[in-house]
Amino acid sequence: MRGDPRDCPDDMRTCDDGKQKVCPYGKIVICMKKQLVTVILLLFSSSACLAGDFLSISGRLDLLGVVALESDSIMEDPSFTGRLKIDTPPSKWSLHSWLEGGWDGSVKLPAKDHSLLKLYDEVYQSNTPWLEFKEFYLSFSAKDLELRAGVQRYSWGRLDEYPINDLLNPWDYTRFILRTLEDRKIGAPSLSANLNKDNWSLDAVWIPRFVPYRLAMPDERWSGVPGISALLHIPNAEVIPDEPNLPSRTFNNGVFGLRVRHAGEIEWALNFFHGYDPRPVVKTTSLVINPQPGKVLVDAGYVPDFHKMTSIGMDAAAVKGDCSLRAETAYSFNRWFNTRQELWGYPPSPGPGVFPLNPNEHKSDTLDYGVAADYRIIEDVLLTMQAQQTVVIHRPDTLYVRQFETLLWANLKVFWMNQKVETNLNLAYNPEHGDGMAKANAWYIFTDSWKAGLMMVVFTGPPQSMFGRFSKNDQVEAELVYSW
Amino acid sequence: MNEAGKGQRAEGKRYRQLTPEILWAGCMVLFSFFAITISAHAMSGREVYGKVHEVRSKMLDRKTEVTMVLFDKGGGKRTRTLVEYGKKAEPEAYKVLVVFKSPPDLKDVGFLMFAHTFADRDLWAYFPEYKRVRRIPTTSQDDSFFGSDFTYDDFGGPPNLDDYKFSILKEESFDGRACYVVEVTPKIRRKYTRYIVWVAKDLWVHLKIDYYQDKEIYRTGVFRNIKIIEGIPTPLFLTVENRKTGHRTELTIESIKYHTHFTDDLFTQRSLERAGK
Repeated sequence: MRGDPRDCPDDMRTCDDGKQKVCPYGKIVICMKKQLVTVILLLFSSSACLAGDFLSISGRLDLLGVVALESDSIMEDPSFTGRLKIDTPPSKWSLHSWLEGGWDGSVKLPAKDHSLLKLYDEVYQSNTPWLEFKEFYLSFSAKDLELRAGVQRYSWGRLDEYPINDLLNPWDYTRFILRTLEDRKIGAPSLSANLNKDNWSLDAVWIPRFVPYRLAMPDERWSGVPGISALLHIPNAEVIPDEPNLPSRTFNNGVFGLRVRHAGEIEWALNFFHGYDPRPVVKTTSLVINPQPGKVLVDAGYVPDFHKMTSIGMDAAAVKGDCSLRAETAYSFNRWFNTRQELWGYPPSPGPGVFPLNPNEHKSDTLDYGVAADYRIIEDVLLTMQAQQTVVIHRPDTLYVRQFETLLWANLKVFWMNQKVETNLNLAYNPEHGDGMAKANAWYIFTDSWKAGLMMVVFTGPPQSMFGRFSKNDQVEAELVYSW
Repeated sequence: MNEAGKGQRAEGKRYRQLTPEILWAGCMVLFSFFAITISAHAMSGREVYGKVHEVRSKMLDRKTEVTMVLFDKGGGKRTRTLVEYGKKAEPEAYKVLVVFKSPPDLKDVGFLMFAHTFADRDLWAYFPEYKRVRRIPTTSQDDSFFGSDFTYDDFGGPPNLDDYKFSILKEESFDGRACYVVEVTPKIRRKYTRYIVWVAKDLWVHLKIDYYQDKEIYRTGVFRNIKIIEGIPTPLFLTVENRKTGHRTELTIESIKYHTHFTDDLFTQRSLERAGK
């Protein structure tokens, strides 16, 4: 059981002279965290010396600053992230570790969650500083077979950004989709097998214990729940997230995936997924506005929900002239969607009290499909275009999503000065709701170890739409990276 | 008809009768000239390249560790280290796997080339950041290889000789070695419209290549420190300079082993994803 340090007396939130102090309400060892951070920082800084014939060690330090372009949006502090990858030499048995940690500037202070390690038991893991094993697994390799056990991330499917068949790892949405696709994925403790024979490959994955997706806290910059914006304007409001009761950790609630691939002129794969849908959906409860001395506690009246689904899909890739073509499709049984927020039953002018909200979930099968093409315009200029669509088979009028939901992507990548400079212009557009995102970035590589980047992102659209819910989050980011 | 007229007609007739003979004689003179020229080179351009092809085919079964240094015009430099695995398969297919060891941003990035024949090959690239293998159009083979002045094609096997025209321009020495200077022209338009190549007569390896885009030299490659390794002449130091930008790449072969006979398992997408491990 973890406690909220905001419930601790002030003198219990700090540590002096390395002595451990325990918050009497939450049993949190605050001093231990600082010592652990110190140890990890030392490990990061000395890792280059540790590398040798026995271990392959590489790492990366990343400093990120964010300037919000809208003065009334929730602000974000600078973030610092360290990454340490360790591999034993290739052999029949090998170990791979990918540890990340640092300071997350998007977390509202004081942080709610004071566990140092990100775990698999909470949706709202608002913790900083933090540590996380993105990957940590043991491999056994034989001639045609490879078995892995441990924390793993998988990449199935062929599309960028939202691959239709890439369902095994839930995502960390605490910075929406500003991180790369792989960085968004939460490593899942799992068992996997890969069998190769000639042009055929079979992948089987079993995630025995349920791993939930992660969301930003309702009062953090990337929470993306538009309905509560009125609640945040209540003077001294403190929005307390409602942590869901997760599905029980039984084998029945695990995730199973199977993928059969064939390499050839046209490469294709068949995919099967059964488990909890990794895409967030919330269930309404009751809005609670509870005035306290000096603050107003608000329970926004919704809780993340989880539903089992089954998906059967196919993906393919081929090359035609200057184009590299990719395609995916999947039919999913029992996906859940939220109704429009105006139907949730929020009172028009919220005041103190308890307000039960209306049911807001609906189940439907869906058909997803998408195509993408990478086209080399000239050397060092690559245009990627992608179109994908979701068809909600049994859609009632109450849903916010339309029967056909389209997502169009385009990315123009240009390298300059022998790839010393890389620029990207990324556009996303949903024609049904008229929402979109434009992202432009430029990286300059100073040396083999140092690089710096600038990124600007702009969102537009109605408040409940995928991108429009972040329309106050236009921002410029500056990033400095050192890697070794 | 007067005598003069008869004489003119006779001259005209004689002239007409002589025309084919003159032409024939002219042809013989020209033929002799070309024959002398060809015999002076002893070999045709195609024959020279047949020899080069033979040597390059022997190089296909190998493991190479390479350091590549990229020099900016302003003096800045970046270093990449990589390992290249090659396998020859009869009659003319080959496979190549290249994996980066450094810099950190490129570590474990790799590309796989699977040539069904010398003329027909598939390319894949793997980027650990995306955890995905991507097919690359073969039209990208003349593109810069990860920011260097080398191309993907430079890491492949020998070309299909039928796809090029070869002609010997002259003979001269380069770096103290007697060379054939051969003009190589692709029959299908590629990024480089022709190459002028200095081929060492004694070793049948390239010593220098000028890569042309139409009339202008785009880049120049020089091959030095040639050693005989396991019976195969091998340049251990290569420089390629982009003549337009002033950017230069030096490639040093740190170690090379031929006749490696790798199994096919090494040249799969699975192996590409695992950086050849």
